[in-house]
Parts: sequence; structure tokens; C-alpha cells
Amino acid sequence: MKRRQFIRSVSAGALGIGFLPLLKHPLFAAQLPRPQAVWVENGEPEELLSRALKEYGGLQRFIKKGDEVVVKPNIGWDRPPELAATTNPQLVGAIVRACFKAGAKKVKVFDRTCNNPRRCYRSSQIEEYAKRAGAKVEQIRRNRFKPLKINGRVIDQWPIYSEYLTADKVINVPIAKHHSLARVTLGLKNLMGVMGDNRGLIHNNFEEKLTDIDGKILPTLTIIDAYRILTANGPVGGNPKDVKLTKTLILSDCTVSADYLALSLFGLTLDDVPHIKRAYEKGLAKYNRKNLIVRKIRLG
Amino acid sequence: MKLSNWRRTSQIVFLLIFILLFLLTRYPYSHGIVTEIGLRFSPLAPLFLFVKDVHLHWILWPGILILLITPFLGRVFCGWMCPLGTLLDLTSKLIKSPNNRKTRSFEKWRSAKFALLVGLLITAFFSVHLWGYFDPLSIFNRALTIVFYPVFTYLTENTLLAVSNISFLGDIPYALYDQYKNIVMPEAQAHYQQLFWIALFIGLILAAEKLSRRFWCRYLCPAGALLGFLSQFRFLERVVRPTCPACGLCHTDCKMGAIPADDFSRNSKVECIQCFACADSCPEKYKSVSYQWQWTPYHTRVDYSRRQFLGTTVASLTALSLIGLHLPDKTHKDQQIRPPGSLAEDDFRDRCIRCMECVRVCASNGACLQPSGIQSAIDDLWLPVAEMRVGYCEYECNLCGQVCPTEAILPLPLKVKQKTPMGLAHFDKNLCIPYARNEECLVCEEHCPTPDKAIKFDVRVYQDPNTGKTRKVKYPYVVKELCIGCGICVTKCPLEGRAGIFVTAEQQRRPKLTNSF
Repeated sequence: MKRRQFIRSVSAGALGIGFLPLLKHPLFAAQLPRPQAVWVENGEPEELLSRALKEYGGLQRFIKKGDEVVVKPNIGWDRPPELAATTNPQLVGAIVRACFKAGAKKVKVFDRTCNNPRRCYRSSQIEEYAKRAGAKVEQIRRNRFKPLKINGRVIDQWPIYSEYLTADKVINVPIAKHHSLARVTLGLKNLMGVMGDNRGLIHNNFEEKLTDIDGKILPTLTIIDAYRILTANGPVGGNPKDVKLTKTLILSDCTVSADYLALSLFGLTLDDVPHIKRAYEKGLAKYNRKNLIVRKIRLG
Repeated sequence: MKLSNWRRTSQIVFLLIFILLFLLTRYPYSHGIVTEIGLRFSPLAPLFLFVKDVHLHWILWPGILILLITPFLGRVFCGWMCPLGTLLDLTSKLIKSPNNRKTRSFEKWRSAKFALLVGLLITAFFSVHLWGYFDPLSIFNRALTIVFYPVFTYLTENTLLAVSNISFLGDIPYALYDQYKNIVMPEAQAHYQQLFWIALFIGLILAAEKLSRRFWCRYLCPAGALLGFLSQFRFLERVVRPTCPACGLCHTDCKMGAIPADDFSRNSKVECIQCFACADSCPEKYKSVSYQWQWTPYHTRVDYSRRQFLGTTVASLTALSLIGLHLPDKTHKDQQIRPPGSLAEDDFRDRCIRCMECVRVCASNGACLQPSGIQSAIDDLWLPVAEMRVGYCEYECNLCGQVCPTEAILPLPLKVKQKTPMGLAHFDKNLCIPYARNEECLVCEEHCPTPDKAIKFDVRVYQDPNTGKTRKVKYPYVVKELCIGCGICVTKCPLEGRAGIFVTAEQQRRPKLTNSF
């Protein structure tokens, strides 16, 4: 009897140990704390995105079947993708495809550019890649801005592009860049691409005005394109020497947290970037930065 | 098919070609078509540029071709090709011009077009080139760019938008609007200064059809005068058979009034534009009019006497003095920013025919070029000038030089253009927010396109005298060696009125014409 008992307990133990790797299985993943942000590096845009989405629970966590999704990349400048002034076009294409795969009925891609809009859409190649992925790529139409009540510290109301407001889900896809006034331009600054009126006025008392408006138009998801980043002379750039190939992607449903994580790409702290600090102070962040749960992955 | 039907077809085809070339003059300009070639068909260009540079400009081969065929075939350019002529024919059908029996009183003005041509030649000889204002192809393109197309797009775009807002019509009107924006009108609605004067100019030319058919062509057009002068011995003659009953229908109907009232068997080779309408108006049972090649052509006199030539000379010299004696204003000169690649101001003014090709192509890019008004000299009028508060010069664009028909703006390769200053930016510290209010802005620096930004900034601590609180403020300044005067800083300055930064012509670099085309 002792031997049978021994064999049974050893077998049970062996089986138990054999099942240990299964703890990593998605079935058991619910027991691991779900990440609040994901940082993936060392891959091509599509690989970075698919791994980040996988770690985050998949895009279907956010996108329901039949949703109308707006993907808001940075198409602001008349520059080719290699100069890191606009969002990586392959990443935009991959996000559009992922949206359709998650069940989206319609995916729209647009941005209110700084240079001539047709030049920007073309030079950045975002129009080409997004269209190829099946998105409806639109130019901004002047008459489609609707005033949004902000009731902020300094902003009463501001016109916002109606297609952004009426979408079911919004994915904000900035490219990480140096910016003289804002210090860096990331997810929070990228939302200026749906703001109407005289945007230049937002520069005057920037931290307060930007966080006032952003507080009312935060996206479903922010995916920071750090495949290439612009380290100096941003946000327009133009010197290939200012471009750093960092092959990184940061994803979070909290824009402020994603921006906060991206600061390390530039060697900055929160005190260096007043507008992100102000965003925390005004409660725009979903997650506490002190104990932010980040899953950091290095591919390959 | 009747000859006159060939002519009508040719007129419509060339009109449509001119309009198509106009529509194709826009970003991305990657179709490989030289859209300004239409403007090079002007017979005046080779003549006047010869007077300027004393050699033939082979890039103007279409115009030279017209000059070569006219002594043999007559004014076929006027009758078969010229889009302004076609427009006038369409207008006269619309507003019902009087026939030649009612317009006898205007006949004494025939010499006016020769006087204008000679006057323009005399002033050109003295280095004042005003012929572009009166070139029919330039007039047509200018009217199309500044008047017709903007009015058309204003009406069409707003109608389509209004219709697409009617919700019960669904998505189709918006899809129509989208397609219209993609194919016909990709650029934003164009707004131009000098709109009123350019509209008045073309309006008067078209309205003159109410006075007589082809009023401009008969009495004013210097290109018509030149071609008429060359047609004196035209080999393709109008031949009238003896069966002609002298009913006078051809005389009454002739578009150019080229058939004299006292002899219907002849016509003025100088005035006739080879439209063959007289052959049509000759009644069926006679059909006496035909066109034949005659190796011993008869001569038609040009309606311009020696006395009139003397009068023209006096008038031209007077005009020259008035133009030459204007007050040269350094301030105005400093504010006249020209397209990048423009020749030195004198050569630029001499070559520019005020056709608006550069203005048109700029509309789909930075949209800074506008037709200039008169600032200190009469020949300032309608030259392209960059209004930086309205638009700016796109860093990655070099299209204006590519579309200039007379190379008043040289086509610069993009890398060269990006290093060729068209002016220099200066801060107006009375207005610029950091200087005037000690608050942050830097929109200008943000947009500066040079890889090493031409606007940099100092960070200084400012103490508010009212509250005693200090803050750090970034104060921008222009780096002279890096600034190319593109003007995006001026356009994007968030101040509602005048900008806190402006561009002057200082340090502009104009290319020199090393070898003339």
C-alpha cells in the first residue's frame, strides 16, 4: 500500500509540475495582473503591433463587431516616412487591418495637417497604406467641425472634428518626436489634429489649454509609433541625422501613461515636460504612474 | 465634312485642350505633360523676346511655328486655335452681336490694333515690356485662373455641399462631392486679389461682342495685328466664282468684317481669319465661294498709315516717360517677394507675361502667389507676388519654375531651391507674443521647414511686475544664414491681424541666366 501511495503521490506531483508551464496559457492569464501599458521593441511595425495587442488582450477588448473606428495618425507634415515627421505608414496599415479583424465595420483615417493636406497625405504614404488596408482616407472638410463644450480652466469651448466625436472607437497613433515648445510631441499633442479654429493660440499657455481640451477628447487607445523617433529639430525635422531607429511601440488605453513611458526614449523625466505633468495633475490619467503595470517585451 | 465644320471642331478641341492643360497645372504635376505649352503658341512671345535678347528663343517653337505658317495660310491661328477667339465666338452667339451692316462706324478703329502692336514694340525697344497684358493666350489663362475657375468652383462646391447636407438624400450627394473634390477641384477654394480688375478686363473684352463680332480681334489684338501683317500675301485665297449674285450675305455675316462692302469678290487677307463661314452663308443655289491655293497671290494693304505710325511713336514715348518717371519706392521693392527661381527683377518683369500659370500651380501647394496690384510702377500690375499672410512657399515644392512659359521663373532643382532664399524673415517685436506679452508661443519655430531650423530661441526668466511671479519664456529669433524666406512662419502666426513676423526681400537670391534657352 505504501508503494501505491508513493507512486500515486509522485505521479500527482509530476503531473502537477508538468502543468506548471500551462500557467502561462491564456486560460490562466487572468490570474496574472493585466498590463496597463505595453512596451514592445526590436521588431518591424507589424510585428511590434501584433505582439503588443496580444499582450494587451487583443483589440477585440476595445472594438465590438460593427463599430465605426477612427484611426488618428500624425499626417501633419509634407515629409517622407524616413524623416520621422509623420506616423509610420506600415504601422497605420497594420492597425487598420487589426481593426477590421476585430470586427470593425468601417475604419476612417484622417488628420488636420500643417502643410498642404494633399501633399502630406501623399508624401507620408499614409494615404496609400491605409487605403490598401481598406480604410476610408478622408481630407478634412472645413464645415465638419462642431463646437465642443470644454468648461476647462481656460477653455470654454473648442471646435472638434465631428467624425472624431461620432466614431464608436478612436485609436490615437502619434509618432514620438522632439518639439521645442512642448518638449516632446506624443499622444496628448497628437490630438491637436482633430481641433479646429486657430490652433496656434493653444501654444499660448500651452499646458493649460491642451490639457483642458484633451480632457474631453481622450481616445479609446493610444499607440505610440516609436519605430523611428525624431530627436531634434522637431516636429518638422528634415535632417536624417536627427532620426533615431528605436524600433519600439508603446500601447495603452491611457494616453497619459503611454506618453509618460515614452519619455525614456528621449531621456526625459516628467518634470522636463510640463504638459504631461499637468495632465496628471488634472486627472487625465487612467492609471497611477507610481505603480503602473507595464509589460516590456523585446522581440527576437 | 465642310471646311467650316473642321474649323469649328478645331476651335472646340483647342479650347478643351487649353482648359485641360489648365486643370492639369496642379500638384503633384507627375503626369509628364508640359502644361504651359499652350501659352507658348503665342506669336507675340518670340517677337518680343527677340527684341529683348536679340536672339531666337527655341523654347518658344510653337509660337515660331505659328509665325512661319501664317504668311502661307493666313490667320489660321485666330480662326482655328486661339481660345480667346473661340470664347468670343461663343459669347457673341450668346449675346447676339450685331451684323456687319450695323457696325460700319467702328471700321475706322481697324488701325488701333496695329497702333497697339507698334506702341508695345517701341516701349519694348526701350526695355519696358507691357505686351503680356495684351497677349490673347495670357489674357485667356489669366481669366481662367483668377475669374472663371474660382467662380465655377465656388458655385459647384457649395452647391454640392449644400445638397449633401440634405439628410433624406442619403450618401450619394456626398459621394458626388467627394469625387468632385478628388478629380476636378482637389485644392481649396482659391481667393485672389485683383479679382475685380481682372474680371473687368475680360468682362469688357467679352461685352464688346455686343458692339460687333470679334471686337477684340478686329480692333485691339496685337497678336492679330502681327499675324495680319504677315498675312498680306497669304497663298490660301478666298476665290469667288462669277456665279456670285452680289447678295452681300457673306459681307454681312463675316466674323471679322473682312469682306469689303463695295466688292464681295475680294477679302482683306490682313483681317480674314480663315473661318470659311462665308462659304456657308453663300446661298445653296449659288455656292460661289471657295478657297484655293494661288501661287501668285494678290496683296492686301495693312490698315495703318505713316501718319498713324508717327502718332503711335509720340504716344509710346509719352507713355514711356510717364512710366519711367514714377517715384521709385524702396519700401515697395522690399515687400515684393517673387517666386523662388525668379530672374533678377528687370529680366523678370520683361519676360513675365502675367499669365498666372505660377499662381495657378501654387494654389495646390503653399498658395502664396497672387497677382500683384500697382504699388509704385504701372508694370507692377499682375506680376506674381508672394503674400505670406495668405500662403507660404512649400519647402518640398518647385513647381512654379516648371510651369513658367517664358522662363521668367527658372526651374530650379528641388535641392537648389531649398537653399535659394526668396527673402528673409524678421520679428515684429511690437506684436510677436513672447516679446509683446512675455508669454510663450513658438508656432513660427514649430513650422520652420529647414533641417537646421532658421528660427531658434533664447530661454529667459521673466518676472511679472504685477504678481512678482517668475516664469521661463522662450524668445524666438531668426538665424539669417539659415532663413530662406519661405513665409510659413508668417502664415501660421496665431495673431488674428498682422503677424508678429514678416518677410522682406532682403538677401533674396535670384538666378542668373547663364545660357538663354
